[in-house]
Amino acid sequence: MKKIIILMLAVFIVLLSIVGVKNLVTLKNEMATNPHQSIERTFAFIKPDAVAAHNAGKIIDLIEHNGFDIIRLQKIQLSKNQAEQFYAVHKERPFFKELVTYMSSGPVVALVLQKENAVQAWRDLMGNTNPTTAAEGTIRKLYGTDITHNATHGSDSKENALLELRQFFNDL
Amino acid sequence: MMEKTFAIIKPHAVASKHTGDIISLIEKNGFEIVGMEKLQLSKKQAEHFYAIHNEKPFFGALVDNIIAGPVLVMVLQKDDAIKAWRDFMGATDPLKATPGTLRKIFGQSIDFNATHGSDSSENALLEIRQFFPNLA
Repeated sequence: MKKIIILMLAVFIVLLSIVGVKNLVTLKNEMATNPHQSIERTFAFIKPDAVAAHNAGKIIDLIEHNGFDIIRLQKIQLSKNQAEQFYAVHKERPFFKELVTYMSSGPVVALVLQKENAVQAWRDLMGNTNPTTAAEGTIRKLYGTDITHNATHGSDSKENALLELRQFFNDL
Repeated sequence: MMEKTFAIIKPHAVASKHTGDIISLIEKNGFEIVGMEKLQLSKKQAEHFYAIHNEKPFFGALVDNIIAGPVLVMVLQKDDAIKAWRDFMGATDPLKATPGTLRKIFGQSIDFNATHGSDSSENALLEIRQFFPNLA
């Protein structure tokens, strides 16, 4: 009788662990396809022209009301060195010097934004690089002046987002 | 006289997505934002910040409320900034605050009154020094 009870117990435990493993596998598969897994972070600047024009608050308001979580926010003055490092990928381009001079010409607001597909979502909210061709309602259409003075910056890929946000928030 | 004051956008106002609105009003009302950072205060930082109130009955609630979520700390500059910022915030109790003031617009109650501002030039200096030592 005792043996039968032990045997039944053993079978029960084996069954339980099979169910457990199966649940774990299902859970793992669910997580892999779960859209919440694509929560990502991007790096943004409110550029000197928008800060000087007193549009920082309005831009932050748009960020808050478009579902971005502001993980970090800091007003800073970039040095020429910091701007050169930040735009290092463009250093062979003809506009590099102008870009660096402009970005270090006055304070900026540096931001780390979090949302599902944040990199693309922030690029969509900013609109086209050139404010004159940007869609209505986008930040660049609302607050940009020209292709250099275009109110905001946003990372162009997940990899660059990480590099950029770590330059200014190295604990992330 | 050009002066600096210290301001906080409190956790409930940040959580209610009023950060942008409040900054926009600050910008429109002639304050220069010379320092600004979003932070999560620790209990220790909050206790140090409110140390002048540590004998008051509301000290515990004050500390708990300010660490309930991230805040925006700011250094604002303007002519007569301390008084100008206090006028712009309105009465401590949002119910008694004048229409158009920040606390009337964004405050919920005396404990959740949207913003903090230094009450004197001595305290402004102490508060600025705690969060922006290079601006004090």
